[in-house]
Amino acid sequence: MMNIKRLIRKVEQLLFSLKNKGMPYRFHQVPSLRRRFILAGSILIGAIALTTMQLVSGYSQKLADISYDRLLRSAILQMDENIISINNKVSIDIPWSAFATLAQASDDRIFYRVESSRNGFITGNKNLITQPPVPSELGKIQFYNQDFSNEEIRVAWLERATTEGNSQETVRIVLGQTRLAREDMSADISIKTTRIIMFIALVAIVLMAVVSHLVLRPLRRITEQLEARKPGDLTPLKIKTPKETEQLKVSINHFMDRLQTNLAQLENFTSESAHQLRTPLASLKALAENARDETTPQKQKRDLNNIVHQCEKLSQTVTMLLNQAVVSHRLQTQNLVPIDLVKLVHQACMEQAVTALQQGVRLSFDSKVTKAMVLADAFSLQQMLNNLIDNAIRYSDTKQGPQQVDICLTTGTQIGQVNSQAQHVMLSVIDYGYGIAEQEKVRVFERFYRGHYEISGSGVGLAMVKDIADRHQAQIRVKDTQPKGATIEVTFPLRTSLSAKYGK
Amino acid sequence: MTQVVNYGLVLLSLLKQKSKQRLLFLGLLTSFSVAGEPVVFGHIDAPSSLRIYSSFDLVIFAPLLERFVQRNPELNILYEDINTAELYDRVIREKADPIASIVVSSAMDLQIKLVNDGLAQTHISSYTEALPNSEKWRNQIFSFSLEPVVMVINNMLFPDAALPQDRSQLLQSIRRSGDVFNGKIGTYDIRRSGAGYLFASQDARQADTTWGRLLEAFGSHQVKTYCCTSDIIHDLLAGDLIVGYNLVGAYAYEQVSNNPQLTMIMPSDYTLLLRRTALIPKNAPNPANARRFLDFLLSDEGQNALRNPALLSPFAFDKSKQTIIDETNHPIRLIELDQQLLVGRDLAKYTRFINIWEEALELLPDTAE
Repeated sequence: MMNIKRLIRKVEQLLFSLKNKGMPYRFHQVPSLRRRFILAGSILIGAIALTTMQLVSGYSQKLADISYDRLLRSAILQMDENIISINNKVSIDIPWSAFATLAQASDDRIFYRVESSRNGFITGNKNLITQPPVPSELGKIQFYNQDFSNEEIRVAWLERATTEGNSQETVRIVLGQTRLAREDMSADISIKTTRIIMFIALVAIVLMAVVSHLVLRPLRRITEQLEARKPGDLTPLKIKTPKETEQLKVSINHFMDRLQTNLAQLENFTSESAHQLRTPLASLKALAENARDETTPQKQKRDLNNIVHQCEKLSQTVTMLLNQAVVSHRLQTQNLVPIDLVKLVHQACMEQAVTALQQGVRLSFDSKVTKAMVLADAFSLQQMLNNLIDNAIRYSDTKQGPQQVDICLTTGTQIGQVNSQAQHVMLSVIDYGYGIAEQEKVRVFERFYRGHYEISGSGVGLAMVKDIADRHQAQIRVKDTQPKGATIEVTFPLRTSLSAKYGK
Repeated sequence: MTQVVNYGLVLLSLLKQKSKQRLLFLGLLTSFSVAGEPVVFGHIDAPSSLRIYSSFDLVIFAPLLERFVQRNPELNILYEDINTAELYDRVIREKADPIASIVVSSAMDLQIKLVNDGLAQTHISSYTEALPNSEKWRNQIFSFSLEPVVMVINNMLFPDAALPQDRSQLLQSIRRSGDVFNGKIGTYDIRRSGAGYLFASQDARQADTTWGRLLEAFGSHQVKTYCCTSDIIHDLLAGDLIVGYNLVGAYAYEQVSNNPQLTMIMPSDYTLLLRRTALIPKNAPNPANARRFLDFLLSDEGQNALRNPALLSPFAFDKSKQTIIDETNHPIRLIELDQQLLVGRDLAKYTRFINIWEEALELLPDTAE
């Protein structure tokens, strides 16, 4: 196996070095799938073909020996039948037909020797001295190869007790034949089968080349389609592809879809941000012109205060935009980690409490649990809380005197499962301000939708809250507060239920 | 120095050659040639030479040898006419350091035995490739002509009006005419002639009963045995023999066509067809010359030089070439050029066959052996 791999690599290198002479740049890449496939296949087929040829060559030798040993056996049996006795001496009258049988191996020389245990050599070649490799039993013909007269010969060896004559003696017949006809036959079989094997191997390699072309065609078509596209074209691929490449196509389409969404978001964000910054800048400019044109220092001072106020707001907007950019980036890139929601909400309330008081709103935090682990990105969640609380403060009717915003954390199970373990935790931010009209409740999460124009704010806050909630698989709802005001509820799945759900 | 013994033959080509080349040496053409004294074809001082051991009758072979030295003037041929059995013994004796570069014999079984024992070398050329597979073995032995094995009868002396056409008719004639045939039948001494043994063993293999009875008849009429076809023909011509049995066809045909008192008969029960074969001994000297000669033997030119009505070309038995075989429709028994011939030369079989043959012909065992 190792050798084959090394061989493939070598051949590939060779191919590359050859091709590189003509095309210096294209072939410094990883070798193509198709070439690897064909090469590995060819080498495998070649190895199989070689092994088969080896086997066939061994087998053809055996086959030739089997066929021609039959002639030899027939001849030696004919000789054996013609053992005779003359004056009590064993002799042989070789029939013409015995050698006519052997003459079927047309170019092979014949050697033989007949001897008896009592009288020794009777007839044949005196120098044909031979012994079978394994001692043979009487009456059984043995076949073996031996060198004689500068050639390898096939020997049939037979010794048997003779019934001719009176005494107990054995006759031994040794009949040898050169191997020309055998070698011819075996070579003939080998050559013919080798031709067939080579033909089959060639056909297999050609078929493999064709098939590999067909198999890789869908991939090539996807590539061609992608390359033929205009730079901005991110529409999904619409070609039909087989099951094996369907997943690849789906993944590409999915990826392009995400790219498209991101691009669209980015575009929106840019244009909206510009829009956001232009209005406060225009009002700043108006205020500054006013201040310049005022004649009394009191009026100028008032205008300048306004400018400072406006600047603060602008600064807030910029901060928020930045935060949103950071959040949206984090939402796409950061992994969620387990976080204690109680602690996080508590912290957010602490941070906002002073600002809220300055605006005449008192924050209250009421948690029904001591700990609520959720999978979350801490920064995003902080931004979400800040936004929610900020919104609640802003929508409070502070002209009517000090107001209150309540923040509650409650856990719960699904309806009907009273006693089982809590599966989610609900964050409620409750204000008692203007409230949100029924038809606007679904629209508050749209970007730059502002229900009340007199209330300052960027308008991106709730949209961002929605994005963050979606990323945390949290449900978000807007309700009315009794007697007046709005309640926003965000329901997070608890980590225990999450892990149970995903079988962690 | 120049010695021509002409046994009723005029070899025009040889004489022509002699007028052109002063130093041409013509040896003895027939069995009378002294052993060990080769006939030279081509220039005696040629830089390269080719020694041939052959049992092929020179009268038939000479035109081809002439043509070959004409084509290749840089070499000469030393031709030794040797009896088949002795030829085999010589090749065996000289196997470590052969003297002859080409061995031509009609004793196919002995030639096959030489090849089987690994004493011949392989030669492959476009000429040998064109030869049918039945006409060669292992690319070491090649048949270059085929001829029938025949009976020759002195028709003046034959007692019956009709000459026998097959073996059983011959047997009947001998039995009928009694003493007329005493000492007047000639055939090969199979102990001394390899070809003779081959014919006899093939006869025994073909027709066991006819062959046995024929042998018996030969034996009871004091058969004479010979080393060579030419000697039998000689005695037939001289009137010392009435019947010669199992003679090589090409030489017999030559003689019969010149002597009307002789009749050649291809037995109609079956006619043996013999192949003349050539081989190059292993480690033979001048192997390149030997190969060139073998190729010439198998070339169109060589085959044409051998053209004789009693000879067939091994090249697909060319039907356009009229031979005596084509004129008959006898059963032809082709002696196969393959391993089967080894059986006839099996020691036990050979000894037994010779014993039976000697007993049947009432001959004393050959003490010379």
